[in-house]
Amino acid sequence: MKAYKKEVRFTIWMALAFVLMGNAGLFFSIFPTDAMLFGFPVKYIVPILMGWFGVFFLTIVAGKIGNRIDDEIDAERGGVTND
Amino acid sequence: MIDGSWKLSNPVLGLVVVALTFLLFYVVGFISNRKAASAKDLYLGGGNVGALTNGLAMAATYMSLATFLGITALILNLKVPFIMLWIQLILAIPLITIIYGTSLRRMGAFTPTHFIRERYGVSASIIAALFMILVSIMYALGQMIGIAVTFETLLGIPYMTGLFVGGLIIVGYITVGGMAGATNNAAIQMVIMALMFIVPLGAIMKAIGTEGWFFPPLLYADMVPAMLEAVPDFFDYQYPTKWYFSVIPALTIGALGLPHLAMRVYTSSSLKSARSAMVWFAFILGLVFSATYAMGFTGVYATSVEGLNIAPEDADKLTIILNLAYNPEWVTALVIAGAISAGVSTLSGNLLAIGALLSQDIIKTLKPNIHERLNYRLSYIAIFVGGVIAILLAIEPPAFLVVSILWAFGLAGVTNAPLIIVGVWWKEANKYGAMAAAIVGGAIYIAVSPFVFPNLALTGHAVTDGMGLSGAMLAVPISFALLIIVSYITNRMPSLQKNLTRERDEKLVESIHGWKDVQAYRYNSKVGALVTVVVSIAVAIWALLPWGM
Repeated sequence: MKAYKKEVRFTIWMALAFVLMGNAGLFFSIFPTDAMLFGFPVKYIVPILMGWFGVFFLTIVAGKIGNRIDDEIDAERGGVTND
Repeated sequence: MIDGSWKLSNPVLGLVVVALTFLLFYVVGFISNRKAASAKDLYLGGGNVGALTNGLAMAATYMSLATFLGITALILNLKVPFIMLWIQLILAIPLITIIYGTSLRRMGAFTPTHFIRERYGVSASIIAALFMILVSIMYALGQMIGIAVTFETLLGIPYMTGLFVGGLIIVGYITVGGMAGATNNAAIQMVIMALMFIVPLGAIMKAIGTEGWFFPPLLYADMVPAMLEAVPDFFDYQYPTKWYFSVIPALTIGALGLPHLAMRVYTSSSLKSARSAMVWFAFILGLVFSATYAMGFTGVYATSVEGLNIAPEDADKLTIILNLAYNPEWVTALVIAGAISAGVSTLSGNLLAIGALLSQDIIKTLKPNIHERLNYRLSYIAIFVGGVIAILLAIEPPAFLVVSILWAFGLAGVTNAPLIIVGVWWKEANKYGAMAAAIVGGAIYIAVSPFVFPNLALTGHAVTDGMGLSGAMLAVPISFALLIIVSYITNRMPSLQKNLTRERDEKLVESIHGWKDVQAYRYNSKVGALVTVVVSIAVAIWALLPWGM
């Protein structure tokens, strides 16, 4: 039960996090700003940085958690390797 | 340096570079695939591809000719909104991997429709396979036309000669190499593409006088003040929030239904390797995508501030024109080779998908007892036939097929993505729901596109309707809602029970998540299904309201 719940929660929250991270332009279309960052308008450079480094960071987190959940499912079903 | 029409003054230079890259692709394809002995070897590279190679290959398969020739032109015309639209395309492989890729890899699927056949039965899988073949042909055709046009406009080779000679050479190497060859080649092509795009961009930026030329993807802020003066609206979002939201159903979910991307995940040597591959994918794609935005920015800067004159019909050649204007000609020859590599790597993914869909999802589905040896031969023939179809269609392309590749994303998002996502995560999904979703959703998406009934298009804004943003915002949620509602109702109709395979479906869903037993509490949430239906209906209604564009 525990591993199953973790798997479902992880997939929903991680998918949402990815969608938000990759669609930061949606946020700035709702909350426009003229602020600048690193010499660029915030509404330009932040979506680009989030769409690269933000997504990259999430893939590392998703990979680690996904592997751990696989191990937990293996353990819960009796230790047979899951690959 | 240039003869006034933006092509190489010495086309032999370009031809030699392109010929050398093709020779390399053949050698790599032949060596990689010589151990192949079954359809699994051919389509999954033996299911034994390492994380770095696969991550690079994923990025190369995804980055089409458009990266070099199309996107920069759209940035030139649409400016920042198009960059905002493009950024989220990086989510494709990570989302496929976490939502269903590892599950289908565990199942040993060749294509997403392979899963649909096991999950929903033959009829639903053939409907899905036909839609997927249509999507893959649209995609492959776009690359094939693009490659022939590149030969024609940049190297001076007549369109038909470029199409047939270039097309057959490409189809030949993909058929010879199979998935193993395509994967190793795609990894090499990704390195070629990254180098041939970013290094010349640095040289262009240096020639323009940008201090950050040594890292082109991000260090061009010193051009911003002059840009703001010359093009004050460059950074404006221009469109309403709804436009930015529509990108999610159309392209973020759409990419989840693209077979050639999902197939890359199945080639991984293990689930852990598939997850590591998505990390490499995100890093390299983010790097090249950011460089693409920088190239588009530099193009707008060069035309607006530096006075570089680019005719509207030459907008697609922006990357090449910038190189011709600011770099030596031999550099442009390398850039052309990079552009063709981008087209070829995507084309190889498309043709492998068409081959697998034709041979494994249609022929083998209709003739399940086919001998393995014949199946293996058919697999090769199917890849080659797919390539020849793309070449023949490109002679005089039917108007309905030459639509934006991004429109094909939406079609995949309507007809395939809901079937896979709901099928993996909800045991109640059944074949009636799947067929209703694919047929009704697909029909609505096609009907509201500007290509069939222009009067039904939702916004009247050519780019928004033509890229499928408005159509997908309506049809994708309808497809999700139909799948859930029709499945829920038909599962409770006693007269239909004999046609359903509930017990088998439950075992399949449990097993692809790694479980050996079947438990009623797993993958059976009514609340999850209800929330999905409510959100889907709300989004579909929003799509029907005025867009204000």
